Formats: sequence, C-alpha cells, structure tokens
Amino acid sequence: MSRWRRSVLRAVAAPAAASAAAALGAVAQAATADRAASALDGHPLAQALVLLGCVFLLAAAVGLVRFPDVYTRLHAATKLVTLGGLGIFAGAAIAFFPVDGTPRVLLIAAFFFLTAPLSGYMIARSAYLRGLPWYQEAGSVDDWRALGSEAQVSAEER
Amino acid sequence: MVIDIAIVSLTVSGVLATYRVLRGPTWGDRVTAFDFLTVNLAVMVVVAALRTGFTPLLDASLIISILGFLSTVALARYLLRGRVMR
Repeated sequence: MSRWRRSVLRAVAAPAAASAAAALGAVAQAATADRAASALDGHPLAQALVLLGCVFLLAAAVGLVRFPDVYTRLHAATKLVTLGGLGIFAGAAIAFFPVDGTPRVLLIAAFFFLTAPLSGYMIARSAYLRGLPWYQEAGSVDDWRALGSEAQVSAEER
Repeated sequence: MVIDIAIVSLTVSGVLATYRVLRGPTWGDRVTAFDFLTVNLAVMVVVAALRTGFTPLLDASLIISILGFLSTVALARYLLRGRVMR
C-alpha cells in the first residue's frame, strides 16, 4: 500500500470510524439506561404535545383502516397526519430547545407542512381522474361531473 | 413514560397502515397508506432522536420525509398518466 493511500485512509477512515462509534455508543447508552431517560424529561409542554401528536397519528391509522373508500381514507390520512406531525415536531423542537436540534426540527416541520397536503392532493386527483369508485348512498351526486368539467380536464391531461 | 407511549402508538399505527397497504382494494388505498407509512417512519425517527438525545438522527428524518414525498408524487403521476415525466 502506498504512502498516499495510507494517509488518505488515515484521514478519512479514522474520523468516520470515530463518529460511527460515537453514534453507536450514544444509542447503546440510551438503550441500556433506565426507562425514564429521554430528551423529553422536564418539559411537560413537550410531553403533552408529543402525546397529542401520537393520538392524532393513531386516529389517522384507525381511519385508514375503518373508512369505506379512497377519498375518505385520504381525508383521514392527510389532515390528521398533518396535525399529528405538528404536535410531535413542536414537542421535539421544545425538548431540543438549545441550538442543536431545534432548527433541524423546524426545518423538517416546514418541509412537512409544504408537502403533506400536496401529496394528498396528487393522490386524490389521480384517483378521481382514473375513476376509482367511491362510497355511494341513495341520492349521491358527482357535482363536478354534473358541471361538465370532466371532458375539458381529461383532454388536457391525457 | 411518555416516550414509551409514543413508541407503542406509532408502532400500532404503522401496523394498521401496513394492513391497508397489503389489503387495500384499489391502488389509491395502497398509495395513501404508503404515504402514511413514510410520514410515520419520519416521525418514528424523530421520536428515536428524542429517546436517545442523538440529534443527527433528525437529518435522517428530513431525508426520509423528502424521499417519501417524492415517491408518493411519482406513484401518483405514474398511475394517472402511465409515465412519471415527459
């Protein structure tokens, strides 16, 4: 092995191995510590927000299982997930409040609030334009098709 | 205590969404539940960062949410038009 390659190895592999060992050490230390140890300790507001977010995410999953068709499942999965993510990210931002974690959590939250309604909109639009069936009762009408807008959009899109 | 409740409830919601991915009668249900699963995974990584206090996990959460959004948009466009991009 040449001297150049050895110096590159020493410059790259040693810090990488050190940081990987630090990460594994932090995870293992937290996993073997007592149950109460987490970043949420001593932040009752952050605990309440994380619990609220978990309740909303669980409600979204229950709605995803129990609702009858694609559009109602999208209703559950989009709105409740946005609110649950709000709770958990706000709780994490409060719990990490010294400078290290808070800006990153706020970045994740901003990106999440930009993208979560957009992906729900994309799924609903392609589901409707592809004609997936929806839950119908007596007297259900499709207002959009009754207005005659369908031919125009499908001519543009397809 | 709170973090344990959070981990358990996120795991239960992931299992329920996995049921909808496997069972879902149409592809819309599967894509919806897949979107929910990616968001749930990003939130689980944030909760892991809260549990261990290891803040670089938050970067992993950001990348997971970006990949989940892009894959959801790609799936929706593919299922609408039969292609992802022109």
